[in-house]
Parts: sequence; structure tokens; C-alpha cells
Amino acid sequence: MGYSMQNTLLYVENLSVAYGEKTVIKDINFVEKDVIRKDNVTGQVVAVVGRSGRGKSTLFRALTGLIKPTTGKILIADTSTDAENDAKEVEEGDIGFVDQKYTLFRNKTVYQSLMFALRLKENMTKEQKHEKIMTYLSEWGLEKVKDQYPCELSGGQRQRTAIIEQIFCSGHYMVLDEPFSGLDVGNIEDVKNAFSLITSMHEFNTIIYSTHDIELAVELADSIYVIGYPTIDGKHAEYGTIVKHIDMKELNLAWKDFGMDHIEVVKQIKAVMMQS
Amino acid sequence: MKEIFKPFENIGRNSRLLIIASWVIAVLAFWFISSMGERHLFPSPAQVLRGFTELYNEGLVVHIGSSLWLCLVAIVIAVTISLILSYLSTIPVITPIANALSKLRYLPLTGITFYLAIIISDARTMQVWVLVVFMSTYLTTSLLSMVSAIAQEEFDHARSLQCNRWEVLWEVVVKGRIDHVIEVIRQNLAIVWMMLVTVESILVAAGGLGFLIKNSDKFMNHGRIIALQIVILVVGLSIDFILNYLRKTFFRYSKI
Ligand SMILES: Nc1ncnc2c1ncn2[C@@H]1O[C@H](COP(=O)(O)OP(=O)(O)O)[C@@H](O)[C@H]1O
Ligand SMILES: [Mg+2]
Repeated sequence: MGYSMQNTLLYVENLSVAYGEKTVIKDINFVEKDVIRKDNVTGQVVAVVGRSGRGKSTLFRALTGLIKPTTGKILIADTSTDAENDAKEVEEGDIGFVDQKYTLFRNKTVYQSLMFALRLKENMTKEQKHEKIMTYLSEWGLEKVKDQYPCELSGGQRQRTAIIEQIFCSGHYMVLDEPFSGLDVGNIEDVKNAFSLITSMHEFNTIIYSTHDIELAVELADSIYVIGYPTIDGKHAEYGTIVKHIDMKELNLAWKDFGMDHIEVVKQIKAVMMQS
Repeated sequence: MKEIFKPFENIGRNSRLLIIASWVIAVLAFWFISSMGERHLFPSPAQVLRGFTELYNEGLVVHIGSSLWLCLVAIVIAVTISLILSYLSTIPVITPIANALSKLRYLPLTGITFYLAIIISDARTMQVWVLVVFMSTYLTTSLLSMVSAIAQEEFDHARSLQCNRWEVLWEVVVKGRIDHVIEVIRQNLAIVWMMLVTVESILVAAGGLGFLIKNSDKFMNHGRIIALQIVILVVGLSIDFILNYLRKTFFRYSKI
């Protein structure tokens, strides 16, 4: 399956984050580029896996500009200018973020939340916004709960609302922290569909997610990073970093149904995780 | 039958009502019996009833109204001060001021009244400000803990939707927690209501429940004192009930 890489979409260099004295992640470097496939709008799907407490959530909070990195920089493509390959440093709000708890405004109904997410779209009239919201609500099976508050929604419904909010409000990037945890099989299917919907909307659209389900990482992602404690001079260091990168495109496994080769990759990843 | 003596046992609605009814009857019976003899601690129900009529004839309703009005004025001022400070406590330069005000709740009432008396001469105004100073410290304490109990995720969620910091403050803390503010007022109401009657009886102005208590004290009229206590308790509980009702009706999402 032929593909090529173009504009750099995400560039992370020498990233580290420390809380006080405690370094949580360090020496994180990676680049994600726009993947182009013929006759196909192909967004990017990046998975981050690693054992608990290795710093996945921390990495995500840095990527989304919610915490300032202690060192290093994070650049994203600046799509507001016409120039190619223009980059800017990430700021809060640039990258959509759906956290582990699918947090929403507790005092806004689903409809009100989505209207709020569209508040900055000045070129849309009120009616257009309403139309857009209603379209999404029916596509995502949220019509019935449109006037309910977060405390009256199920986990899956909260998560879908949170994802639509971010689609409405952020640019091409969306980070999801453990989007598959605590969901039933049906909800997992919904999230998978959401992924393919998002990536088919625009070439630049990039989803970055973490998961404890390695199969789901291997099945959905075209690029997988394993975060873990590195072994330096035979000793375990106490900070998270990228201990392995698997490019599913290079392995010719991306955009394919889950098969025997995928299972091999799952085994490989699990072995690396056990060591880190 | 044995179930009602077992810890953590779930009992039916009827059993629960029955238990409550038995307790009420027991208390009433105790009251009747203990006030029958010649010397007794509590006035008899008949005396209390007489106390009620006396109070009513002296304009009890007007006095209740006067106390409620004082309570309302003081609460509005105190809540305004505490809210502004607590909301602004999220700004680093203001944080120490808000914390300091909250610490002042350990100050004794007498010191406050002394200094207020120098500035204010009118007894009614004095009552208001003593209450305001007092209440603001308690309200600020509760409101500060309300603000600090907000999860980081809620701020991050707002920020990820391109809210600037002021919008985060407005959306998450101010608009997102109005129901909590009502709850905070309700929680502190008991102290306020108690303080109010005390303040009214120390700084005697034209009227109010505290004024009535003071009067009854003088005459050693037991029936009246108990009648008044009951009135104060019932009015206090009613405000409590109304606030809780308001919160639950107007804020459907409010599950505290
Ligand atoms: N706000 C914080 N202050 C101090 N330490 C933190 C904070 N958030 C996370 N940590 C620490 O950072 C480490 C990584 O946490 P996290 O990024 O949540 O890992 P993961 O998402 O991979 O489970 C943990 O050891 C955790 O205790
Ligand atoms: Mg995490």
C-alpha cells in the first residue's frame, strides 16, 4: 500500500517535564508527518502505550499546552498561514484534549456545551450552528440526551460529547487519554468509528491516544510509541521516555485488518513494556 | 422487630415513620409528665401556649420580619464580599488577602464590636456590620474550600476549549458553582441565625427576635422563653429548607 510523507505536523524535541524536583518524563523526541495516500484522505493515528505511571498523561498535558515543559519544545503546523511547513509552538487550546474522565462543564447540557464549543466561529450564524450541532448529535446517537447534564449521561455519552466539543473547537489535532477504558464493546466500536470519521475529514487531522489495550493500539494506529523507564548502564532510570517506536506504515501493517503480523507486533510491544 | 436494633439494617418506609412517631410521642409525653409537679425545669405546654399568645399580641410577626430582614441584608453584603474575594483568590496577588480574611474567624466578637462601635453609632447599622464581619469570615472559609475542591481537569477542559484564564474563572468557578454557593450559605446559616439572635440581644435596637428574648429574660417568663426558642428554631429550619429547595429546583445538575 503506497504512501508518502509530507509536511511535518508535530515536532517534539528534547521534551522533559518535572513536578518540583521529580522528573516525570525526559528526553522525548519524535516527529510525526502528514501521511499522504492516493485517492484517500488519510489522517494520522498515533498511539502511546506504556505501563501505569510512566508519564503518558503528563506527556499529553504537555502536548496540549496545558503544562509548560521544563525543557524542550513542541511545534505544530501553523495552518493559519498559507506558507508551507510553517510551525508554531503549541499553546493551550491549539490541540483538542479529551481526558481520562471525559470532563465536561457540569452546568451545561449536551446542547449548551456544543454551542459553547462553537462560540468562536464568527462566520457561522446561530441557525448554522444549530444545524451543525443537530447533525452531529444524530450521527453520534446523542439526540435523545441533548438536554441532559453530564451527571445524567453514561460514560460513553459523556465521552462522545467531549470528542464533538473538541472537533468543533480545536484545529487538526486531538489528544485522547485512554479513550477505551471503562467502555463496553459497543462504545469501543463507537470510538473506533469516531477515529475513522475524524481522520477522513482532513489530511492534517491527527489523533494521538493512549491505551492499555495493546491490540487496540496495533489495530488502529499507524505509529506507536512505547513510554517506559529506560535502562541506562544496566540500571532502571526513574523517568519515562520513549523506549520504542513502531512505525506500522513501514511494516506495511497500517490501514489493514488485524492479522497474524499484528499479533507479532503486540507480542513485541508487550515484551518491551515488561522491561520498562 | 429485632431488625430495628441492628446496625446498618435497611428498614421500610412505614417502619421508619413509626419509629419517628414513637420518638415524638415519647418526647411530648416526657414534657407533659415532667412539667406536672410543683417544681419543674420546663414550663408546661399550657404555659408555652400562653407564651405564644403573649408574643403574638406583642407583634411577634413584626419581630420575625425584622430579624429576617436583618439576616437578609447582612447575608447579601457578606456573600458579596466573600464571593468577590474567593473568586479573586485564584489570582496569586489576591490569594493572601482571602486566606487572611478566612483566618479572622478566630477573632472574638467583642473586639470586633468595640471597633465597630467607634465608627458606627446607630444600633441597627451596628448589628448589620457585626454580622457582616462575622459571616464573611465563615463564608470565605467555605467558599475558598469550594474553589480549591474543583478538579484540575475542569480547568483543563475549559482551557482546551480555548477559554482564556478569565473565561475559565467565569465558566468553571463562577457559573459552574452557583449551586455550591447556595449550599455554602445554607451550611453557614445555622451559625448566622444563632449569631443574629445573640447580636440582636446584645446590641438592642428597635426589634427582632433577640430583643424579645432579652425582654423575656427580664421577667423570668419560662413559657415565653421556650415559645420563643421554638419560633427561632422553626424560622431557621424554614430558611434552611427553602434554600435547599431553591438549589434543587433551579439547578437540576446539582447533586451535592
Ligand atoms: N500534578 C502532579 N504532581 C506531582 N506528580 C505528578 C503529577 N501528575 C502526575 N505525577 C506523577 O507523574 C508520574 C506519571 O504520571 P502520569 O503521567 O499520570 O502517568 P500515566 O498516565 O502513564 O499513568 C506518576 O508517578 C505521578 O505520580
Ligand atoms: Mg494516565
